[in-house]
Amino acid sequence: MRDVYITGVGMTVFGKHPDRSLRDLGGEACLAALRDAGVQPKEIEAGYCGNALGPVLQGETSVGQNVFWEVGINSVPIVNVENACATGSTALHQAWVSVASGLYDMVIVAGTEKVVMPKGTFLDVGAGELEVKLGEVFPGCFALIAQKHMELYGTTREQLAKVSVKNHMNGTLNPYAQFQKTFTVQEVLDSPMIADPLTLYSCCPNSDGAAALIVCSRKKAVKAKGKAVRILASVLATGIYENQRDFTSWEVEKRAAGKAYTMASLGPEDLDVVEVHDAFTISEILHYEGLGLCRPGEGGRLIDEGITALGGRIPVNPSGGLLSRGHPVGASGVAQVVEIVWQLRGEAGKRQVEKARVGLAQIMGGNKEGDTRACTVHIFSR
Amino acid sequence: MSEKRGIQTTDEGQPNEDFVLVQPGLFDYPLKEGEKPFLLAARCSKCNAVFFPARTRCRHCGANDVMEEVRLPGRGVVYASTVVHVDSPSGIKAPYAFGYVDVPAEGVRVFALFTGCDPALIRPGQEVELVIEPIRTSHEQKQVIGYKYKPVRERVSQ
Repeated sequence: MRDVYITGVGMTVFGKHPDRSLRDLGGEACLAALRDAGVQPKEIEAGYCGNALGPVLQGETSVGQNVFWEVGINSVPIVNVENACATGSTALHQAWVSVASGLYDMVIVAGTEKVVMPKGTFLDVGAGELEVKLGEVFPGCFALIAQKHMELYGTTREQLAKVSVKNHMNGTLNPYAQFQKTFTVQEVLDSPMIADPLTLYSCCPNSDGAAALIVCSRKKAVKAKGKAVRILASVLATGIYENQRDFTSWEVEKRAAGKAYTMASLGPEDLDVVEVHDAFTISEILHYEGLGLCRPGEGGRLIDEGITALGGRIPVNPSGGLLSRGHPVGASGVAQVVEIVWQLRGEAGKRQVEKARVGLAQIMGGNKEGDTRACTVHIFSR
Repeated sequence: MSEKRGIQTTDEGQPNEDFVLVQPGLFDYPLKEGEKPFLLAARCSKCNAVFFPARTRCRHCGANDVMEEVRLPGRGVVYASTVVHVDSPSGIKAPYAFGYVDVPAEGVRVFALFTGCDPALIRPGQEVELVIEPIRTSHEQKQVIGYKYKPVRERVSQ
């Protein structure tokens, strides 16, 4: 397999964009990525576009062709990708495969989504699944995980709340984040209960937005004048759906991370900055453990000691994460990579992690039998 | 599959019935006089893996059309539970509790709604038993029949 690089990144501000379309948001992100890389649309040999909910929420299918056409990319192969919350990162994985294999030298990745719902409504996704017909709701699934983690390891509600406090603090340093507001632990705990123990500010918001990447081979990357960030590992894995699995960890995440560390020839101790899938506060705690940033059960201690805060030993979600940056489902996995690239280039402004050389992005999505349908882990370096 | 397991398949239902099943094939309803409620699972006759809901292919060994019907005993043990404080999109009114119940007799974990006590009182390790009852009202104003678990010994309510 050949070395693969990212030479251009771009994203829209995440938040509420009621008057903008999926293609308009996606087009803005693609244009920014093309300009960042200094690449013309005609140089792009293929496009991979992530969008998870367009067919359900906007009645729009094959969104990728619409998005890429906005910026003058046509006639080349376009692939539409859907993998729940891991949609955008799966699009990157497919792009990586296509360049690493030698098929293409320069491709584009986009993720675009509009998920903002009327106030107080749940996203009614997966309505055909038995659990959903019976009454399952997504925050409830993660509440169950939190309950088991609290039961087994003594993780506290305050520790969960601190994840939200940290990420919202980081979000105020990111002009692309949906929330520009800090919360105290007490405010997180006192916000309306959604599914015990998860309160409103323990759950990521629904968001609109898009992000894009230019992915290329080494011979193209050398022309990028120091902007190139190398993809050391790209791993996509699915769950085992074991009926009586332990809810306090995801086997799929440990497996994907282990494979990624092997591929990159490094370990969790070598990471300088990490973006994880904090759809809910408890998720980030589990990802600390799943990625090997600490031992099982120590996730709560990590947040207590400020180890994952900006300025800590291993900052996690400096962007604000899904909790503060927002969660346009199909775009989140791409936006995480945009953040890591900015961090590794030293372009992250007030939230810059000093001397960041190696970064990791993890995201997972979809619930099946209480397990995860898709999990990706990417590792990058300067 | 018996008549009564398949009559009502969707929320549209049939005009002459006043209820619909949340999904056909999960349980018998209505039950015979004196019959205890049970869930319909399937056991692979090749590798003995048990599945709920029942299925025709074994996902463990890949065997096809060798599944035997198994009635899951009504008793189980709570693995995890949470109380949801927002109405579900399907129409269940908050607060309500859901989670997972282990049925040790068959080594199966079942997604379940809880009933029969304050939702916040459901705890891991608690013994529960199956009930078949309405879980919500459909868009056509019919009762949707599903299954729930309730504590075997009801705790003193607050």
